[in-house]
Amino acid sequence: MENLKNNPLVKKIGLNRLLLIGVLIVMYVAFAIISPTFLSYSRILSLLNYVYFLGFLSLGVTFVIATGGIDFSIGPVMFCCALISGYCLTSYGFPMIAAMLISILVGCLFGCFNGYLVAYWSVPPFIVSMASMNIAKGLASVFTKTQSVSWPQASAEGGWYRSLVKIGNVPVGLFIFLAAAIICAIILNKTKIGRYILSLGSNKEAVRLSGVNVKKWEMLAYVICGILVGIGAIFFVAAYTTVQPGYGDQYNNEAIAGCVMGGTSMAGGLASISGTVIGVFIIALLQEGILALGLNKNYQLIITGIIVIAAVYFDVLGRRRKN
Amino acid sequence: MGEIILTMKGIDKSFPGVHALDHVDLEVRKGEVLALMGENGAGKSTLMKVLTGIYTKDSGTITYEGREVEFHNTKEAQDAGIVIVHQELNMLSHLTVAQNIFIGREFKKGFRIDDKKMNQEAAKLFKRLNIDIDPTEMMGNLTVGKQQMCEIAKAISHEAKIIIFDEPSAALTETEIEELFKIIRDLRDQNLGIVYISHRMDEIKVITDRVTVMRDGTYVGTLITKECTKNDIINMMVGRVIYEDPKTHSMVPKGAPVVLKVENLNAGKMVQNVSFELHKGEILGFSGLMGAGRTETARAIFGADPKQSGDIYINGKKVTINNPQDAVKNGIGYLSEDRKRYGIVVQKTVAENTTMASLENFCNGVFIDKKKEEKIAQEYVDSLATKTPSVDQLVVNLSGGNQQKVVIAKWLTRNCDILIFDEPTRGIDVGAKNEIYKLMNKLAAEGKAIIMISSEMTEILRMSDRIVIMCEGKITGEIDIAEATQESIMNLATREIG
Repeated sequence: MENLKNNPLVKKIGLNRLLLIGVLIVMYVAFAIISPTFLSYSRILSLLNYVYFLGFLSLGVTFVIATGGIDFSIGPVMFCCALISGYCLTSYGFPMIAAMLISILVGCLFGCFNGYLVAYWSVPPFIVSMASMNIAKGLASVFTKTQSVSWPQASAEGGWYRSLVKIGNVPVGLFIFLAAAIICAIILNKTKIGRYILSLGSNKEAVRLSGVNVKKWEMLAYVICGILVGIGAIFFVAAYTTVQPGYGDQYNNEAIAGCVMGGTSMAGGLASISGTVIGVFIIALLQEGILALGLNKNYQLIITGIIVIAAVYFDVLGRRRKN
Repeated sequence: MGEIILTMKGIDKSFPGVHALDHVDLEVRKGEVLALMGENGAGKSTLMKVLTGIYTKDSGTITYEGREVEFHNTKEAQDAGIVIVHQELNMLSHLTVAQNIFIGREFKKGFRIDDKKMNQEAAKLFKRLNIDIDPTEMMGNLTVGKQQMCEIAKAISHEAKIIIFDEPSAALTETEIEELFKIIRDLRDQNLGIVYISHRMDEIKVITDRVTVMRDGTYVGTLITKECTKNDIINMMVGRVIYEDPKTHSMVPKGAPVVLKVENLNAGKMVQNVSFELHKGEILGFSGLMGAGRTETARAIFGADPKQSGDIYINGKKVTINNPQDAVKNGIGYLSEDRKRYGIVVQKTVAENTTMASLENFCNGVFIDKKKEEKIAQEYVDSLATKTPSVDQLVVNLSGGNQQKVVIAKWLTRNCDILIFDEPTRGIDVGAKNEIYKLMNKLAAEGKAIIMISSEMTEILRMSDRIVIMCEGKITGEIDIAEATQESIMNLATREIG
């Protein structure tokens, strides 16, 4: 084990991430053995569809968790974004590009709302995001008069947005998602935004006493999260076209699970974008695998719940050992 | 001195990468106070944790009352009669004194808790200790000193035969320390064995019978307190001679301009009408007892806590400081007494902490120029002689003294002209202390203005050019170093204000 740890390649990528990649491969092989359809290209495309929107949620919540906060509103907010913008598109005849911007704007506004309450009014993030989860659900229902919204098919007018996910058989979405992840990694690791977010997640008071406007940077983490959720909504409809009001809760846990599994600490101050990306793949694979095995979707809820607890437990354990 | 009650022999304990205890010996006798001394990281606390079962030893033997023992947790140690009175008090402020003392082993009357019996038993304990505390008082209403005495009462209620005091005087006033000593002497006369851990040399001379010294996880030796001098002990602790001579006259040139002027500052009960001036190149000592309002004054000036009224002038110009951002913009840097909580971000590297207060200067747009950052960090690591393998090292892995240097580097990088050092050497070992002192003198000589809050008299007399003394939230006096004596300062620090 010690030898392995000191291997330069292992050092560069990180033992945890290598283990995660290992888990991912083992899971895929296992599913493929049980159900050979897993090797089919269409199955992989379907898996990727799940990765895109969940990936954006997970990237977003990584920033929030890095500050030591939490956001339980991302799933319903994503649906709210897709519903409001979709309703503008279908019922008010907005152009596609405007609808997309509205989606991002709605996400951004929710981020501002959450961030402002957490940073400036010191309301606990747990409470804020629980409340805004309900607001998002209610708002979407009121706006759409409790009707589900169907975005246009690929052949219809404005249907070009579906090529965000794939063109022909090329999974374009994967490239866009990975590009977004790289940008997130740059923001987190190379800019002062990320530096302040991680630092205040580790010791907010010390950063404040260094003369840094901690409230501003803390709020910004939630805003970044909101914007990514708004983008995630676009990828959700690009993959599935139809959205129903009143749902979205389950994606909270899945996105947070992906993020925490990837090595982002719930206590704040430590975050890994590459870990989040691998984590999201594992969650998506799990979801596909359970469907492929013909199991009830409820099993997935149980497994995701267990994964969140296990990931957080290992995080706590690791920190305790360090102390 | 009585018979030997506890012998620890050849105690060895390793943590990953650290040999914390290297075959350490310790011997405690009945009816004596044994001082356990050593620099931070010498292994005193680890040794006590091995004794009370918090850590398991790798090898060695513990003989207690004639039998070999090994405790697996503090409860087992307690039941056997070995208790620790911790430096940080573990008290529940919303419960009464008696409820705190008997927590976890309440007297019961059927299903109900018998508060009456607990109060009586607590009163008996206080009587034995000769102290006057009402068992029905809420813990939160007591002073820190009184709370500590409750801890002691709790300790003896366990039928303790050995009581370990871990830096008990750190938060106490002079009178409280005297009371504490009285209690310790009483306990000694009742034939208990006392282990007394402290950094304060003068206390060791007053209260202890023997001194055991540790250094770098090893046992150095044991001296009879009466027969040794302060310097003997220090030499054993550090393995080198250190002089702590007071400053004789102010180093500030005549007519040095006033850099900071504070007028009628008010912030809560602890800061009342505080006014003073600070000159360029001056080290202004803030002396006073614990709780005199010095830290509160510093935090109010720095904008860390809100203030009610008062004016602050920097270089003759009135400034508004509502938060730390304003203070930093005006060139004030604050080095807190509690580095871990208020000074450093432990999960970040030396370089990242160094630029924490001035990150804008190391950015192109939003992007951080890591090369530039590492360069400045390396410069300060070199010039402050910070001991770290590299600037990429996480600060959590550095010792207290080196963490303090990182905080200093942070403010120097920001180019602050006014530095407030709040207890700059608390928790820092003797060798590193000297380096910090040298550094402060150098900064003052370069024209920085320094406010130094310190509870250590020797530190105040050694470093300050001028001394401001506070008592109960008010400034009670100001003395030039040439006229300052321990007595004159103590006098002002304890003066009753009408």
